Amino acid sequence: MHLARRSFLKVMPVAGLLAACGGKASKIRLALNWKPDPEFGGFYAADFAKHGLDVEILPGGAGTPTVQMIGAGSAEFGIVAADEVLMAREKGNDVVAIFAVFQNNPMGIMAHASRKLKSIEDVLKSGTLAIQSGLPYAKLLKKKFGFDHVKVVPSTGGDLTAFLGDENFAQQCFLMDEPLHAKRKGVEVTVFPVSDIGYNPYTTVLAVSGSMLSKSPDMAKKMVDAAREGWRSYQDNPAPTNERMHTLNPTIELANYGETAAAQKGLIESNPLGKMTKERWDTLAAQLKDLGDIGQVPPAEQCFRDL
Amino acid sequence: MNIRKAIPAAIPFIVVTLSLEWLVRAGWIKAFLVPPPSAVFQTMLRDWPELFAALSKTSTGAILGFVLSAITGVAIAIFLSSSRAIQDAFYPYAVFFQTVPIIAIAPLLVIWFGYGMRTVVAAAFIVSIFPVIANTLDGILSTDPALRDLFRLYGASPATTLWKLRVPAALPQILTGLRIAGGLAVIGAIVGEFIGGQGLGSVIDVARTQQRTDKVFAAVLLASVLGLVLFGLINILSRLVLRNWHVSEQN
Repeated sequence: MHLARRSFLKVMPVAGLLAACGGKASKIRLALNWKPDPEFGGFYAADFAKHGLDVEILPGGAGTPTVQMIGAGSAEFGIVAADEVLMAREKGNDVVAIFAVFQNNPMGIMAHASRKLKSIEDVLKSGTLAIQSGLPYAKLLKKKFGFDHVKVVPSTGGDLTAFLGDENFAQQCFLMDEPLHAKRKGVEVTVFPVSDIGYNPYTTVLAVSGSMLSKSPDMAKKMVDAAREGWRSYQDNPAPTNERMHTLNPTIELANYGETAAAQKGLIESNPLGKMTKERWDTLAAQLKDLGDIGQVPPAEQCFRDL
Repeated sequence: MNIRKAIPAAIPFIVVTLSLEWLVRAGWIKAFLVPPPSAVFQTMLRDWPELFAALSKTSTGAILGFVLSAITGVAIAIFLSSSRAIQDAFYPYAVFFQTVPIIAIAPLLVIWFGYGMRTVVAAAFIVSIFPVIANTLDGILSTDPALRDLFRLYGASPATTLWKLRVPAALPQILTGLRIAGGLAVIGAIVGEFIGGQGLGSVIDVARTQQRTDKVFAAVLLASVLGLVLFGLINILSRLVLRNWHVSEQN
């Protein structure tokens, strides 16, 4: 793709800073922002070849900078969060969202059930809380309730060791993931969705650079079509794809893949799958402006596209 | 600090900084990937209270870790030098400190030492101790045989030979080990802070999630300055200790 080559040239001086840029025109790279797991199930289930696309899915991990990778051209498509899109756009990184897997934010705070807490506000009244304090939802929590009575420490990145060992330890989680894991280890938990405090951005969003979208709108449309079909297939029958993801990421047991897929189903289901609305983007932008993460509210039409 | 000596060192820095500024402004490098130096400088000024507080915390952790690894490292090296058998038995375990990936064991450190300064110091200690052990041991074992014979001729005990000859003669190597350990202690402290919270490590981690590359660079710059300061202090120490007698400090 001659566009990819041009982006590659622009990015050459920064080679030292980024993962190696592909430069190969034919392969389409989809960069994930975590290791293969059910939150990406539909992408692994998708039959891209049927739509004439040669797609390579690049697994990620802690801190994979997918939004910058799209901007730098080291991946044609990437998985990002909606709030990341808005912040990136303000910094001059022209990324556009084209498909939202999670209609509702799967982020939550989980605490030991034995503490008998009733709300997120209660969690902030005592003990320790492990969160990524730079994320907008964390700033919103701090703004609404204050962190004066809770000890805030860095997020554990999915590691439950501290949580399991300390009754007063609460942490950030994905509703369909860590809570199930804790239960398996014998700890009953109470989970409070972040959306309870009114913060509900689209999550696990497929994004592409604005320039690629205008140069190759057909390719983007085909990606979305393939993703939509893949997610329909995964929603209805996740088992075969779970087996495939299990070989890629054996750290999660196969049975657990199934449990998580079932738990996340409701957060994803919509008609059509992946759809986004202007209202949700406007709400999110207003919230981010209020938190100081962006300076101006951009027109929603620039941030997402319905393909 | 001799100003004349500082100029050659400053030139590459100035050239790179100006080039980077131009490259970003001209659009050759996208600003959201590499911030222009002017933006980093502005952030440094605007967020100075926060950055300085973080720098103080990281400095404390790094220096404490470094001092601990200096004392412990020299002590371990002296112990290892006492016999070939002891060296063979225990040196491989010292190498463990070199090879263990700190980012992998940092979560364990938090379990053992809790969130906060103790984990940071532990991480700085683990990462910086091996060069001290290796270089000190090398120095102690490399004493001039002629001098060792001289001590033996005068009937000196092993202890006297150790403290009056072998350790002082090893000072140049010990100081080399300390020079390397200083920078590593800063790295260890920052990794400890990624997991344990606080300091420049926390600033970098949080700024990264906010796509604030300018703040990340500002914090990284301060961490580098801290490493340089430690390095400079050890050089001063080296000059004081070796100036009268060792060839490396004589012009």
